[in-house]
Amino acid sequence: MVDRKSCLLLKFLSAGLAVFLLFFPVLAQDVDDPNPDSPTPVLLSAPDSTRALTALPSKMTRGSRFKSEPTAFALDSQITLYVTNVELMKDEGASAFRLYAEDSRGRMYRFPVLDFQPVKGFDGVYALTVKVRDEIGFWQQPSENGDILVNVTWRGLTSNRVKLGLGKTGGDLKDEAGATPTPLSGVPYNKSSQTPTSEAVGYRWSGDRIRFLEQATFGPTPALDNRIRRIGLRTWLTEQFEMPYPSVANPYPDIPLKPTTAPTDCDNNQTIPDVPVTCARDVYSMYLPQTWFYKEALYGDPQLRHRVSWALSQVWVISGVDTQQSSWLVAYHQQLSKNAFGNWRQLMYDVTMNPAMGNYLDMIRSTRTNPNENYPREILQLFNVGLFMLNQDGTLQRDGQGNPIETYTQNDINNFTKVFTGWRDCNIAASCPNLVQGSGAPDYKDPMLLNPNNHDLTAKTLLAYPGSTTTNIAACTGCTGAAITNYANNSVNQALDNIYNHPNVAPFASKLLIQHLVTSDPTPAYVGRVAAVFNANRTNGAQLKEVVKAILLDPEARGNIKTDPTYGKLREPVQLMTNLYRQLGVTSADGAGLSDGDINRFPSGLAQNAFNAPTVFNYYPPDYVVPGTSLLGPEFAIFNTGTAIGRANLGNSLIFGQINVALPNTPNGTRLYLAELQAIAAADTTSNQLLDVLNQRLMHGRMSSQMRARIITATNAVASTTPLARAQAALYLVFTSSQYQVQR
Amino acid sequence: MKESRREFLIKSSCALTMTALATQMRHFGLMSAMAQKVDEQTTDSAVPSDYRAMVCIFLAGGNDSNNMVIPNHSDATISNYQTYFNARNTQGLALAQASLLPIAVPRMGGLAYGLHPSFGTVAGGTNPGIHPLWADGKLAVVTNVGTLVRPTTKAQYQTASHPKPYQLYSHSDQVNQFQGGRSDTQTFTGWGGRISDLRTVPDNPNDLIPMITSIAGAQLFTAGQTTLPLAIANAGTSLSAVLNPAGFNTTAASQARLSAFNDLRGMDLDSSVVQAASNVTNQAIAANASLQTFQEVTTAFPTSGIGQQLKQIARLIKKRGDLGVNRQIFFAQIGGFDTHNLQINNQATLLGQLSQAMRAFYDEMVLLGLGDKVTQFTMSDFNRTFNPASSGANVGSDHAWGGHHFVLGGGITASDFYGIATASNGTPFPTMTFNGPDDADSGTGARGRWIPTTSIEQYAATLSRWYGLPDADLPTVFPKIANFTNTNLGFMQPPAV
Repeated sequence: MVDRKSCLLLKFLSAGLAVFLLFFPVLAQDVDDPNPDSPTPVLLSAPDSTRALTALPSKMTRGSRFKSEPTAFALDSQITLYVTNVELMKDEGASAFRLYAEDSRGRMYRFPVLDFQPVKGFDGVYALTVKVRDEIGFWQQPSENGDILVNVTWRGLTSNRVKLGLGKTGGDLKDEAGATPTPLSGVPYNKSSQTPTSEAVGYRWSGDRIRFLEQATFGPTPALDNRIRRIGLRTWLTEQFEMPYPSVANPYPDIPLKPTTAPTDCDNNQTIPDVPVTCARDVYSMYLPQTWFYKEALYGDPQLRHRVSWALSQVWVISGVDTQQSSWLVAYHQQLSKNAFGNWRQLMYDVTMNPAMGNYLDMIRSTRTNPNENYPREILQLFNVGLFMLNQDGTLQRDGQGNPIETYTQNDINNFTKVFTGWRDCNIAASCPNLVQGSGAPDYKDPMLLNPNNHDLTAKTLLAYPGSTTTNIAACTGCTGAAITNYANNSVNQALDNIYNHPNVAPFASKLLIQHLVTSDPTPAYVGRVAAVFNANRTNGAQLKEVVKAILLDPEARGNIKTDPTYGKLREPVQLMTNLYRQLGVTSADGAGLSDGDINRFPSGLAQNAFNAPTVFNYYPPDYVVPGTSLLGPEFAIFNTGTAIGRANLGNSLIFGQINVALPNTPNGTRLYLAELQAIAAADTTSNQLLDVLNQRLMHGRMSSQMRARIITATNAVASTTPLARAQAALYLVFTSSQYQVQR
Repeated sequence: MKESRREFLIKSSCALTMTALATQMRHFGLMSAMAQKVDEQTTDSAVPSDYRAMVCIFLAGGNDSNNMVIPNHSDATISNYQTYFNARNTQGLALAQASLLPIAVPRMGGLAYGLHPSFGTVAGGTNPGIHPLWADGKLAVVTNVGTLVRPTTKAQYQTASHPKPYQLYSHSDQVNQFQGGRSDTQTFTGWGGRISDLRTVPDNPNDLIPMITSIAGAQLFTAGQTTLPLAIANAGTSLSAVLNPAGFNTTAASQARLSAFNDLRGMDLDSSVVQAASNVTNQAIAANASLQTFQEVTTAFPTSGIGQQLKQIARLIKKRGDLGVNRQIFFAQIGGFDTHNLQINNQATLLGQLSQAMRAFYDEMVLLGLGDKVTQFTMSDFNRTFNPASSGANVGSDHAWGGHHFVLGGGITASDFYGIATASNGTPFPTMTFNGPDDADSGTGARGRWIPTTSIEQYAATLSRWYGLPDADLPTVFPKIANFTNTNLGFMQPPAV
């Protein structure tokens, strides 16, 4: 039986799919996706306790009772722990592992992993060398007053925890319940402790399918889940890379340019009201791009490009807060989405010349005599290079004193500022297809043009860094007219090359994209693998396609189960909402049509007002550390007591309420589709099936038995005669739980 | 009998199973309640007999204080109005002298200075603004405050080995230094949060809410090691709704769902990320019950964002007795000060909103009998370049360094300029000369970025001492305070005895 909602969805999708199949009839082939599961690392302990094994016997004598004396270690000492049950890729080593420690006060530390080597004579055993010193610094260093518990994490999986004496052994800290020794004599441990579901073909790992779709789309749908089960991840990615964007059924809003002094009479016909009455809303507010964006997120086929463009829009930020007309922002988003699977250097150029960015960060009004440092600073600090020199795995380089090394100085900013002077809005009919002369509306869609009189002609010095080539731009002496234009264009390209070739760009961009798509605090190894792909494709027009593929197919992203306590990311408000809508289905308020996309009120109330970021620093900073922890968690910057309850209340609004029709802004309204869950609740009054479905669709099948039992009790407190209310209660509890708010 | 927040958190965790409790005990928020007593013993443990609060108002984006406090005199021995006019008029960034609101400044030998006209009566305003409070002795200006690792002269600034704040002129880093209270390295906690870590137990033993409340998100200033701020929406939302989970009623089914909603947060804490999220939600639920009733404020507050933020703070202060708090720190924010362009209009609007809101808040505090117990003060990313950016209608200014700040309330000593004098002219007001002795920039392209003479630590320490932070705790809250000799700038009255 095909229900009504699926019909609607099908109609919407088929339009796009038809076009797609016309052009790419033979691409969809099954590609064999490997088992995504990495083995779970094991930290070896003494034979008879959970105390860490910190020295090996002189040779491997299986079954012998090698006994390690309890040893304590001093702060700042180097110690070796032993890890087994890992399978390394080429070049995978110390940077793929992290060692976390917890003390008796519940404080969390991270010790730097210095080395990771196979141990000769002990097959499958690796020596992990760490320095006993917290490298995060949220807390002071741990006290040398007894045992701490340590665990090693790798590819989103955690080992068992073993005890380590700090200063002395013993103390208040007890083993975790159920902890057992993991002695050397037990090697080899099970390669994989996980049992993937057994399905015959395609991509069988149901938990990872959901995880993958959370990373690559605005939320899994049963249809997409089925499709990936059938064709696998790689084929789906290929389809996505080639798909037209945006969906045929949802073209970019085509909004006319209007004068920058907003007239009271928006349609300019000298009478009030405007025709249509929504003229001012459409032109001068972000309503149209927002509703377009949400419709594409909820229903569109080219999900991956939409998702990556959304990520890019949170790196290369412009905002409706300072962008007067929605048409400017749409033209800007078109540049981002065009380059989402393209080349980073091209993206740099297109954004630099885009008038909406020119307006937002003031390049459009920066002149030789009155220069403006805004864009030059941010193209370095926020978009490409960052403040400090990075290693290729994204970790900080340090000088002899252990301090980070700054990437540029104010003097560098001054020089880049000169390069970016003299551009203005596009004003020559021949070069500016969107310009309507005589309309009084400046052209903020087409790339900016140079006003040669305003360009700085003096010499400039660019960034010097290891491997930098041309770092000087000579003065343009005696230049006039076209010579200046040529000079300015060449200078900008030289400056952009100088930035693009900075060794920071690959790890900087890679880490940001990983954070937006997969996990907030990726290991250096993961960043390094993606950065290597970025670098290997520097001149490839499809560089970012390779980068996105590398991000999504990395073993740290993939896996049916993720157990690392530090893995995952807090769902940002936009995706918190769209994931629920997509996973269960979303219709118009009357259930007969599609949502109109007028749903920004929800994330907006949770500090994420789409296309209206408060500043160029986006809704949240990428380096935000979760209070009380040693973890990066950008989205936590907008998670506080107020928004935490706001998220619960979002659940209440979505699940128990709907957005009703209200003209003119809400022509259709929006409603979450609950009939399917209702039917399941009606069919099984124990609520077990209901929880099975919620667990599989929302929690990767990893809901704890404790959580499940607690939700079943509360669900069954609702009368079985009201199955919709039961479905709502159970869904509310899953959706509002921290376990769901964190995408793992 | 009222239940304190610690009792609530402990009690609510006792409802959990023993296993869950063991995990929950490691849980950050609960730890804070107990760890404080053992770990963070402070030097002074008497419960205060009066109420005091600091209200930080952050001018986000970097306020151009060169157009906020302006020389209004013609004394040729120091920077005067003509100096200002010459530097800014060509591009259109100079305010007309006639428009300035005069203040007489004892520290400057009684010379006239001027405030931006937005600090007086403004169109659509509900009060006379804060300018009249200068004459009343309730408004102080601390001049040329900024991020410093050590006192810094221009010669030292140009010396590579002299320690300087990291990443001058970068928004995020300068904000973090202002809010973090140190400029030599990044920090995970703010100076408000660190005061809260130290003072919550001795000052607010019967608290129902945390010592710090933010109406502008949980920013660095409010983050402590062991304490989290209360972060709530502005007065557009009633206090009873700011932290209230919606959609529950008294039916058994609804109560069962509510109880499960709360219990789930005690589970699956083996994930640190899940635990962090649960912890914040627990803090919210713990505070919610105490916010269900409140009395509306008397004063008319402006409808602007900052007006509504300060109004919400006023509501909380009005209910301080119910909440069991003797010392409170508040954080509010007004954004939009990154005026690289369109500064004339935009800054005028923002400063008008600021002035109206601060005045309404001050008036309300006076009505509550707390005029001298509650101190408002400003912070900002940085000052902006004295030399304008762009020109004409678009004129703005770029990122710079030392700037001027307001302190408002009956707890100040007298209306005056405060801060460390610059060597260039012997006053706390910088010499506003491009490439001059107080300009960090050099050469012909110098744009006027004043090297601060007063560090944020000195500014903040003066406020903190009035608040009741013992001198012995200053180095804990401000780790680099020892680099500055004068830690009391004299603009605040002594701490309560």
